[in-house]
Parts: sequence; C-alpha cells; structure tokens
Amino acid sequence: MSSQIDPRGPRFGAAITAVLALAGFYLGLESHPYAAVLTVLLFVLFAWNVFLPKSHPYALIFSKLVRPRLQPPTSLEDARPPRFAQQVGFAFSILGLIGLLGNLIPLNIASFAFIFIAAFLNSVFDYCLGCQMYLLLKRFGLLGK
Amino acid sequence: MDSLTLVLLLLALGTVAGVAYRQLRGRGRELIRPEKIDLNRLPTEKNGVPTKQLGKHATLVQFSTEYCGQCPGVRRQLSQLEYRMGGISFLEVDITERMDIAAHFGISQTPTVLVLNANSELVYRVGGVPNMKLLNEELTKLGAK
Repeated sequence: MSSQIDPRGPRFGAAITAVLALAGFYLGLESHPYAAVLTVLLFVLFAWNVFLPKSHPYALIFSKLVRPRLQPPTSLEDARPPRFAQQVGFAFSILGLIGLLGNLIPLNIASFAFIFIAAFLNSVFDYCLGCQMYLLLKRFGLLGK
Repeated sequence: MDSLTLVLLLLALGTVAGVAYRQLRGRGRELIRPEKIDLNRLPTEKNGVPTKQLGKHATLVQFSTEYCGQCPGVRRQLSQLEYRMGGISFLEVDITERMDIAAHFGISQTPTVLVLNANSELVYRVGGVPNMKLLNEELTKLGAK
C-alpha cells in the first residue's frame, strides 16, 4: 500500500501556486523584470515538491498552521496521482524557465497561464488535471508501474 | 488588449472550465447501441470475493484502481444502493494492473461505473463519481425498484 495523504494538502498548495502563476502571467505580459523572479520561484517550488516533498514549505505550512484548524479529513487519498501532477507542473515550470533563458517570452507567459489554470481548477474546483492524466498515460504505457 | 484584460480573461477561462466540470460531473451517458459484456472475461469481485452474480434487472460494474481517491466512497454508495434496491447486483473490478481492460472500455478515469441490463448489455456509463439521482433514474428505467 502506498502512502495516503489529506486531499486538502495539495489543494492548499495549489491555491498559492495559482496566485503566483497569475501574478507571473501579468508581470510577464507587462515585461516586468519580476516575471523572471516568479519563473524561477515556481521552478524551485515545483522541483522541491518533486524531489523533497516532505520538507516543502507548502507541506509545512499546511501541517503546522492549516490542518490543526480544520476538521479531520473525511477521507484520505493515494499520494501517487497528486505527486504525478506535481511532476507535470514541474515540466511546465521548466518550459517557463526555457522561455525566460532563451528569451522566448510567449513560451514563458504560456507556461504561467497553464500552471495557473491547472492550479486554479485544483484549488477552487477540486479538479486535478495532472491526476486525470495519470491513468490515461498509464493506459498508453507511458508510465512505469 | 492590455495585460489586465488578459489576466481577467484567463481567470474567466478557468472559472468557466471549473463550472462546466461541476455541472457535467457524474452525468453518465446512454449507449445507443448496447454492447454485450461477457463477465467471464472480467475479474469481477464483490467485497473482495470473486463473483459473476448478475442482477435480475440491472448490474453495476465499478472500475477502480488502488490509487483512486474517490473509489472507496463510490463503492460504499453503490453497495448501499444494491442493498436498498431490488433486482440489482453491484460488482467491482480492480484495473490497477489491468490496463488492457481500461483500454478496451476506453476508461480514462476511475471510478468508472457501467450499468448492464438484464441481458448483460452495457446501456449506460458514468466516468467519475456518479450523480446518484441520475443513476437511480437509469436503474428504475431498467425495472429495479
């Protein structure tokens, strides 16, 4: 049995990601230098979640400050699909970084837009795009066991 | 178009997508040409025990995976439905290691619930958590009470 998590944890993180990505989208359109800061920040946050999820600031804030104030979860969920969704987000943050470094500004802005949509749907509507892709990609044999 | 307008458009896009998802969630679709399902080829279980027991009026088949967060909740609901309604049988198939079955039925998310009629023909299917009211209507049409 793989590890089980409180489903509200990833949604809390997604809410912060959505705000950062929307800010990045706006600053990118305005050609503001801080768009670069947000590109790097999102890249670092996604990478952190992919490689060291336990020490991630979202996880720490959620477990220390948010979860104690919430009701106990009504159900737990498997950690695999949300973890996979983080990897998808990580891939898009890499595209954003490529856009920034290669001076491909539309790519940079598009990556902010995609990350925002995915994070917004997850946090507000409880619809995890990346998790949906998990079964689909498994079906096509693109993911290992 | 100025940047702020584009930011609002992106927000609107996310909201429309989310609301559409909420509206369409759990609505199944009827199959115009019912397909005969051979249960002998599916590893169907009831409470973890292999069985092929068909309902007199209708049979519900839930496809689940180990990593599916909402499958246990749907299993509980459908078990209760089986208990309450006469003439229906509820079976479950774990497709975690059976992506061939997922491919055959074109399953892109779990849970996916199939409704078979008395002749074990597939007449209705729901992807995601079913809307219980609509599912009830479908079963009533097939003669279950």
